Amino acid sequence: MRIRFIVLLVFMCCHSILFSQEKYLTKQGDISFYSHTPVEDIKAENKQVLSIIDLSGGEIAISILMKSFVFEKALMQEHFNENYVESDKFPKATFAGNIQNLEELLSGENHIAEIDGKLTIHGITKPVRIEAKTDLEEKKVVLTGKFMVTVADYDIKIPAIVRNNIAKEVEVSFKLEHLPYN
Amino acid sequence: MKTIKRSVYISGIIIAGGALIAFIAFLKLYNKPHTDVYASDPDYTLTAKALVETFKTDEARANSLYLDKIIEVEGVIKDISAADGNSVITLSVENSIESVICNMYPTENKKTLGLHTGQKIRVKGICTGFLLDVILVRAVISG
Repeated sequence: MRIRFIVLLVFMCCHSILFSQEKYLTKQGDISFYSHTPVEDIKAENKQVLSIIDLSGGEIAISILMKSFVFEKALMQEHFNENYVESDKFPKATFAGNIQNLEELLSGENHIAEIDGKLTIHGITKPVRIEAKTDLEEKKVVLTGKFMVTVADYDIKIPAIVRNNIAKEVEVSFKLEHLPYN
Repeated sequence: MKTIKRSVYISGIIIAGGALIAFIAFLKLYNKPHTDVYASDPDYTLTAKALVETFKTDEARANSLYLDKIIEVEGVIKDISAADGNSVITLSVENSIESVICNMYPTENKKTLGLHTGQKIRVKGICTGFLLDVILVRAVISG
C-alpha cells in the first residue's frame, strides 16, 4: 500500500514537472556508489539514470533501475541484486526533492544547491538532504555531488560472513547533465 | 608408529588437496565473468513496439519476464548518441513517446558509426527495466 502511494507520488511529481515550463531532463545520468572497508573496495556505476528538474519551482525527480548498476565482478552484481537490494521485488530507486535555495542559484549568488527530499531504496523511504554543485549553463543544468547512505536505514541485510567486506555507509556520487526538455 | 605416521601423512594430503580445490572453486566463482552477450542466444526476440507495450500495460509482469534476460529487439533508429565514450542507440516506437534505449558495448562503437537514423536494425542486450523508456545494457548489434 505504502509503495503504491510512493509510486503515485513520484508519478504525480514527474507529471507536474513534465508539463510545466523550464524543465530539463537527462536519461543518461551517472550515479555510482563506493563501499570502502579494509577487506575490499566495491564500486558500482549506473549510467542510465533518469532525472528531471524544473527550474520554475525547483522540483527534482530521479529514477534509477537497480539492475543497471554495473560491478567489476559479476558475482558482486548478482549478490547485490538477489540478496541485498532484491531488485526483482524492488526494481527502482527514486528520489523526489525540492531545491531550497533556488533563487540564490538562479541569481548566481550560490553554486551549491541544497536539496531536501525523499529517497526510496529497497521499498523504504527516508528523508535526505543533499548538496549538489550546480552549473547553470545555457541550455544545460549540471548537478554533481556526493552523499552518504547508511545501508541499515533501508532494511538491507548483509549476511554475517561478508559483513566485514561491505561498509555500513556507502558513498553515493552523482553527475546529472540535464538538457532542455520539450 | 609407522602406520600412524602414514595415516597422518595421507590425511594431510587429502586436507591440503581439498583446501586447494575449494580455493580454486572459490576463485572461479569469485571471478565469474559477466554474461557474454555476443555468444549468448537471446531469451526473447521481439519488436521495440511489442517490448514497450508489454512494459506499459503491466510493468510488474514485464519485469518478471524480461529483467536480466537477453533480449533481441528489432526497431528503427531514432537517435544515436554517446555517453562517456559508449554509444547509445534509441529505437523508436510508432505513435508513442516511449522508446527502447540501447546502451552499447564499447566494442560496438565502430559499427555504430556506420548507422544512421531511420535505419532498421536488430540489437541484442540485457534488459534492466523501464523508466520513461525500456533500457537495454551491454547491447550489441545483431543484424
